[in-house]
Amino acid sequence: MKETKMDRKLLIILYSLAFVLLREWLLPVMALTDTNYLGLFMVFIGLSFLTSLLSFKWWITLPVKILYIFWAVHFVFLNLIFFTRDSLSLLMTDIMSNLSILETGDWEGITNPFRTILFFVLLWMTTYLIRHWIEVRRSILLFYVMTVVFIAFIDTFSPYSAENAIFRIMVSGLLLVGLLYILRLSEKHHRPLKTGVYAAISLPLLFVVVASSAFASIIPEKDPAWPDPVPFFKSVVQGGQGLGTMTATSGYDPDDSVLGGPFTPDHTVVFEAKVPSKQYWKIETKSTYTSKGWEKHPAESEKQSFSPGDPIAEDQTSLDGNESEQVSASLQIIESLPYVAYPYGAAKINTRPDIVLNRRFDSEQIWATKNGSELELDSYEIEFVEPKYSMKALRATSMDDYDASIDFSPYLQLPEQVPDRVRELANSITENEESVYDKAKAIERYFRNNGFTYDQQNVPVPREGEDYVDQFLFDTKRGYCDNFSSSMVVLLRSVDIPARWVKGFAPGESKLNDKRERIYEVTNNEAHSWVEAYLPGIGWMPFEPTIGFTNMAGIDYDIETSLDDPQSPEMQEKEREEKEKQTPAAKPENNSGGPTGFQKAFAWVKSNVWTLVFVVLVLTGITWRIYFIRHKWMPKLLIRMHQKTSGDWETFDKQYKSLLRQLDRFGIKRSGGMTLSEYALKVDRHFGGRRMRDLTAVYEQGVYGGHIETHNWPVLQEIWEDLIIRSAG
Amino acid sequence: MTHAQTIDKVLANIDKVMIGKRNIAELSLTALLAGGHVLLEDVPGVGKTMMVKSLAKSIGASFKRIQFTPDLLPSDVLGVSIYNPRDMEFEFRPGPIVGNIVLADEINRTSPKTQSALLESMEESSVTVDGETLRIPQPFFVMATQNPIEYEGTYSLPEAQLDRFLFKLKMGYPERLAEVEMLQRAEKAVPIEQLEPVITLEELRELQQGVSNVNVDDTIKKYIVDCAAETRTNPYVYLGVSPRGSLALMKACQAFALMRGRDYVTPDDVKYLAPFAFGHRIILKPEAKYEGITTEEIMDRILTKVNVPIERIRVR
Repeated sequence: MKETKMDRKLLIILYSLAFVLLREWLLPVMALTDTNYLGLFMVFIGLSFLTSLLSFKWWITLPVKILYIFWAVHFVFLNLIFFTRDSLSLLMTDIMSNLSILETGDWEGITNPFRTILFFVLLWMTTYLIRHWIEVRRSILLFYVMTVVFIAFIDTFSPYSAENAIFRIMVSGLLLVGLLYILRLSEKHHRPLKTGVYAAISLPLLFVVVASSAFASIIPEKDPAWPDPVPFFKSVVQGGQGLGTMTATSGYDPDDSVLGGPFTPDHTVVFEAKVPSKQYWKIETKSTYTSKGWEKHPAESEKQSFSPGDPIAEDQTSLDGNESEQVSASLQIIESLPYVAYPYGAAKINTRPDIVLNRRFDSEQIWATKNGSELELDSYEIEFVEPKYSMKALRATSMDDYDASIDFSPYLQLPEQVPDRVRELANSITENEESVYDKAKAIERYFRNNGFTYDQQNVPVPREGEDYVDQFLFDTKRGYCDNFSSSMVVLLRSVDIPARWVKGFAPGESKLNDKRERIYEVTNNEAHSWVEAYLPGIGWMPFEPTIGFTNMAGIDYDIETSLDDPQSPEMQEKEREEKEKQTPAAKPENNSGGPTGFQKAFAWVKSNVWTLVFVVLVLTGITWRIYFIRHKWMPKLLIRMHQKTSGDWETFDKQYKSLLRQLDRFGIKRSGGMTLSEYALKVDRHFGGRRMRDLTAVYEQGVYGGHIETHNWPVLQEIWEDLIIRSAG
Repeated sequence: MTHAQTIDKVLANIDKVMIGKRNIAELSLTALLAGGHVLLEDVPGVGKTMMVKSLAKSIGASFKRIQFTPDLLPSDVLGVSIYNPRDMEFEFRPGPIVGNIVLADEINRTSPKTQSALLESMEESSVTVDGETLRIPQPFFVMATQNPIEYEGTYSLPEAQLDRFLFKLKMGYPERLAEVEMLQRAEKAVPIEQLEPVITLEELRELQQGVSNVNVDDTIKKYIVDCAAETRTNPYVYLGVSPRGSLALMKACQAFALMRGRDYVTPDDVKYLAPFAFGHRIILKPEAKYEGITTEEIMDRILTKVNVPIERIRVR
């Protein structure tokens, strides 16, 4: 009784330390993916540890955990505290549809609630593993090392700052490893320790950990000799060429008349935005497609001038019943940017009062002038209301509802060069969809699973007479955002849905500034293009066809309508996005540099990431399987290994020990208190005969009696082979 | 003739009389070869005396029997000095203790004073009376018996005294078939009277010499010590085995290995003999008694728990 009591106390300490360690994994994941609700996940981990601490039966913990996961997902995505019939069936449909997505391997089609469930499951497995490490293996070093490596990696290569994290990890990890080691030692030598003794033994450990961490925090810190390794790596693998050798680089360029061709990433920061959540930064829209690219806007066009602080005339009609609050974004422009980048739902722009703001109606560009001459703003603040689209309304959109009084012809324009097969493709994608929204969604989804690859390098420029979109859709199927977005616009127009091409910047990487405020850093790499489609009764709505990017349009899930929607798309919650977001301002004429080996490999890895994951999983599975059935193949290997060896005691000694291990794998276990001859009897009872006893007699003579000279080694070798072969079956 | 064959002859001879008690015969002989003494604990009539007698007869040794009673005095055991009027001198007349094989029957019935006189001579192999010390001739083997049933008017042996016995054995009832066979044999004649010696005392001494030549590997020594240490930490044990106990077990193992025709000790020897050598040297806590856990069970648990060495380890 006393023993278990001590164990319980100790286990509480051990689990608390493990909790701290696991929390360090969650923190950067939360910070880097903008996932809120850290508390929900921590509660789940706490729950898992608590149930193992109280050693509940599995039939209690399993339902409790599953219930908690459901509730958490429910709470996060539907904002409901209690389950209702509708909400439950919505969750169920979502899970079912995602399971079918899992089967088809369309990983990007997985909805956010299901991703969250998967993340919970991952946490569950991790806590189970930690439990195994603590309670069975009594060794957590592997997890500790993994945590350190992970945090070091994250700290080096991402904006997450792990300064305090590394401190917490060091203290809790070392304590955990040390305490478990004492426990392991006491068990190894069968000397159960009383609580007091245990505490006394742990004191030096505590002292060393505290002293070393105190010392570490006191000593002056040297600046890193190597502040950011990423550019260094790149310059090394690119053979010192530097980044500037290729002419086409990413970034915003107003000229899109000729699209295509490879480009080089450019990490220069364009602007920094202080904004509560991720936003797409819109700069302009284009509507005339030329088969090669997008035509420049005519110089003269209808425009509107307004002062900073005046409301911007918006033609969005979708925001009825919008409960979203007005939020503000302040931007610091670092590189030159001729136009104002603004988020969706922009209502007011505040900047210096002597500035006049101008907005073109057709292109939706906004720029600043002072006394009639154009100038670039250094900083400005935008007040905006994040648009939310009602699922009910989106579903109600019909092709017949287009307002005849509005002239949509510029947004339905298609050049004559666009081949018929593009139209046929568009029809086949959308024919089974009812609402305009679903048709657009179907086209958006089309790129995800029909063999399209994201690639910045091997992207050709269409030849004379060739269409840029047609080439991408049917021939190359690889490209970056321009290819995807232009193609979507053309496909939408092919089925008479008004659409236009949007340019701007993706949200960028978030980091914390000195005041611990969240700042999004938008570089030239974030230059991006996407699509807006006009939905009757809704207005212009953004779509994101480029694979690797997530549609940011906030959708309000009105439960009744989305129940029958197996493909519930992105929810309002912003989720992880892949890093590589670049749009080229590529000029095809100068393509001398060519991709380097590193870039090739990188692009290859990027485009095949899911294949790679799959291959790694399969390989892991096979390796595990091979290891698991090692009792079947190991004997043959052992025989081969020992075939050539000369008959002597050393060989026999090794053979006998390997036989013991093999028999153990086979399933005939020897407890610690069992003598070899008792075990031999057990083995012989299993296989019949008295082979094991014969071998054991010789072994015992050698080990306990020191008689290692005269034996008939070849005969023993035969007996050994015979036994080990039998143990393979 | 090898040592093992010689021993087999003795055992076969005892088998003629004792049916189905080969293990007790083996253990008794082990103790004899190791130079130790045996405490036999069992109810009357299961053949304790017969066992000792047949052993004594088989090796042609002198056999003495002391029946312990409450009024027995130390001098009745050790001997007395009597005044010899012809020589005008005191003359020492050795008591029944001076013999090769001594059966100390119902040892717990006599007073502690007499008990300790016996046990001292067992330990020292000598008798001291009136300042004169007399070496008891080798081999010297005491087999004491005690009845576990009667407690009235008995003086149970203190732990320190129990420590002097190499083994404490329990005879147990014979199996049914063995008992039937015993009756068949006893029908015609008393078998014990016809028993002839099969080895000489000289041969026995040689065997005893052979025991010390049996090799005990360091690995085995460590195993013995592990077992002893485990008795000291077991939660049910109040007093664990003394180092004398470890020493006794090692000696016994050597003798046992010799009997099995080996010149080295295996962990099996240790495991087999440990309950007999350790059983009477540990005292259980009252909790164990209340829970009905016996010494045998405790020894079993201890031996299951201690890891058997299966590789050579250097103990330095």
